[in-house]
Amino acid sequence: MISKIAWRNILRNKRRSLILITSIVIGVVAAVLTDMFSTGMMEQMLTNQISADAGYIQIHKKGYQADPILENSMTDPQTVDNLLIAEKDSLDFSKRLRTFGLVSSAYNSSGVSIVGIIPDQEKKITTIWKHVATGTYLTSQENQVLISSAIAEKLHAGLGDKVVIMASRLDGSIGSEACRVVGIYETFDSGFDQTHIYIPLQIVEQMLSAQNKVSEFVIAPKNQKDVSGIVARLRLELDHSYEVMSYEDMLPLFVAQIKIYDSTMFILYLIIGIALLFGIINTMLMAVMERTHEFGVDMAVGMPNRKIFRMILVEAFFIGVIGTAIGMGISYVSYLEFASTGWNLAAFSESLKSFGAGTTIYPVFVMSSILLKVLIIPLATVAGAVYPAVRAVRLHPVEAIRAT
Amino acid sequence: MNVNDMNSEIVRVENVGKVYDDNGIPVNALHGINLTVAKRDFSVIAGPSGSGKTTLLNIVGTLDTPTSGNVFLDGENIADKKRRELADIRLKKIGFVFQAYNLNPVLSALENIEFTMMLRGIPSDERKRRGLALMEQLGIGELVNKRPNEMSGGQQQRVAVARAISNDPRLVLADEPTANLDSATAAKLLDLMEKLNHENGITFVFSSHDPQVIERAHRLLILKDGQIISDKKN
Ligand SMILES: Nc1ncnc2c1ncn2[C@@H]1O[C@H](COP(=O)(O)OP(=O)(O)OP(=O)(O)O)[C@@H](O)[C@H]1O
Ligand SMILES: [Mg+2]
Repeated sequence: MISKIAWRNILRNKRRSLILITSIVIGVVAAVLTDMFSTGMMEQMLTNQISADAGYIQIHKKGYQADPILENSMTDPQTVDNLLIAEKDSLDFSKRLRTFGLVSSAYNSSGVSIVGIIPDQEKKITTIWKHVATGTYLTSQENQVLISSAIAEKLHAGLGDKVVIMASRLDGSIGSEACRVVGIYETFDSGFDQTHIYIPLQIVEQMLSAQNKVSEFVIAPKNQKDVSGIVARLRLELDHSYEVMSYEDMLPLFVAQIKIYDSTMFILYLIIGIALLFGIINTMLMAVMERTHEFGVDMAVGMPNRKIFRMILVEAFFIGVIGTAIGMGISYVSYLEFASTGWNLAAFSESLKSFGAGTTIYPVFVMSSILLKVLIIPLATVAGAVYPAVRAVRLHPVEAIRAT
Repeated sequence: MNVNDMNSEIVRVENVGKVYDDNGIPVNALHGINLTVAKRDFSVIAGPSGSGKTTLLNIVGTLDTPTSGNVFLDGENIADKKRRELADIRLKKIGFVFQAYNLNPVLSALENIEFTMMLRGIPSDERKRRGLALMEQLGIGELVNKRPNEMSGGQQQRVAVARAISNDPRLVLADEPTANLDSATAAKLLDLMEKLNHENGITFVFSSHDPQVIERAHRLLILKDGQIISDKKN
């Protein structure tokens, strides 16, 4: 009967209940969509980083990650090669030799990271081949180079043009190769684009007189869930002269950034939550104070304070549940709407590019975060009714009855 | 006073005073009130407006506390009781009828009557059965599903009486119950309460300046400036 009374009181002032429910719905939708899209954006940033260059797992000579110079490259890659070939049912891999150097045209030059790759193998690990905007991906072991549109622009170089690539060798002399631009790529990450060029591994070896040297083995597990398992296995197999790193080890700044972002989000939710809470407190207080006379009568007929208290909380709980249900419904429909097409942020694409997320954000449905909200929001609504309920039970029965 | 009198007494008011604080100005609403009400009594407290009738009923009904003096209900001093215990006393022993009916606007007539039974923890089936029987007995059977705003004042007041007696109280306190009713309706309401007094043995204490009420009362107390100036059998 208490719930019947609570329900009828909700229906009694439809406008106010509607305002309360609407503000909860807005809070729920805002929180859920922000959550879905920010998780989506973060995951995209991470997978873009992983798939564009880093791969899920890398193996280096110990110390390379901290100081990625030529001197720190592996001198006997064969051990690792054999080990990875033995694992080929569970992973794909490729090797790279990379160094810092200069790429120049007649017009300008640019300091870059020169990445020597085995084109066919690299294709299985990273997506750089998908980002070729004009021309082609590297097609042979000839003197070819893949540069980004940003570098092309800086060098005033186009498809078919020759550029000179220079880097210092281990003995301190300078090696150089002239390569023809076969393709121009563009990833989601403009910072990355400005600093990376790709040429065949053999050409880098030739330029640096560094035959049979490898900076990094890049590994893609066939199943993404196996990353930590494979890392553990490889660490066991390889001695301490190697380092086996997962993307989390390689992109610590990035992982930290996501964590910082998460806590920023938490603060945002807290602010939304507190604003919502005060809205609820205020509106519930109005609803309760308007019924002062009724509470006085309830007290007179012997209704104990705890039941009056509970009746008010039940009312808030119903409102919270209705608001949460509608909010979740709207969120889910929007999720379905955006899940396949994504949210096109082309209008902000420049700023997003430097962020490395891509221009279309796909929402991610995180069950645990939804469930948390489903639990918390009705409870928060109830919490918002506590103060009004306290005010109601503190009323003096006689004065309450005198109130109109 | 003999033992018999003690047993037949339901309310005892001893030297009660009430001072209200009206924005810092003390208002002496009652002083030196001494009063006993016998079981099955049917008394009226009359007196001019502002004489303290409502204040006295509220204090007897445990809704308000006296500034001085003591009130005993069934021999128990209510000053010793906690808020929770007082609510329980009101629930089980006292029924209130107000001048303004004061039914719950979101509940139907039957639900208003059931409400106080619900507070006592009476199961739904029994509540309904007793509520319907009571409404039948009071001649308001046709109002079962009506909300207060669909009822006349007299109908609302009869529902309020049904609510007041639904938990078989020992005592019903009615503060100017007929003030908003026309005399024919008031007469019917009084018939009803007289019948409940006779048949169910419920003690009634009214406050009223309605001559009809005064005429029917067995005992008439007159209050003036917070003091009882006359107390006689009618
Ligand atoms: N809450 C209050 N604060 C201050 N003064 C009050 C309060 N309630 C009542 N009074 C004063 O106490 C006195 C007694 O009031 P009370 O309401 O008991 O009289 P009453 O006999 O019931 O009058 P009426 O016939 O108008 O209902 C009056 O002077 C009134 O102004
Ligand atoms: Mg009065």
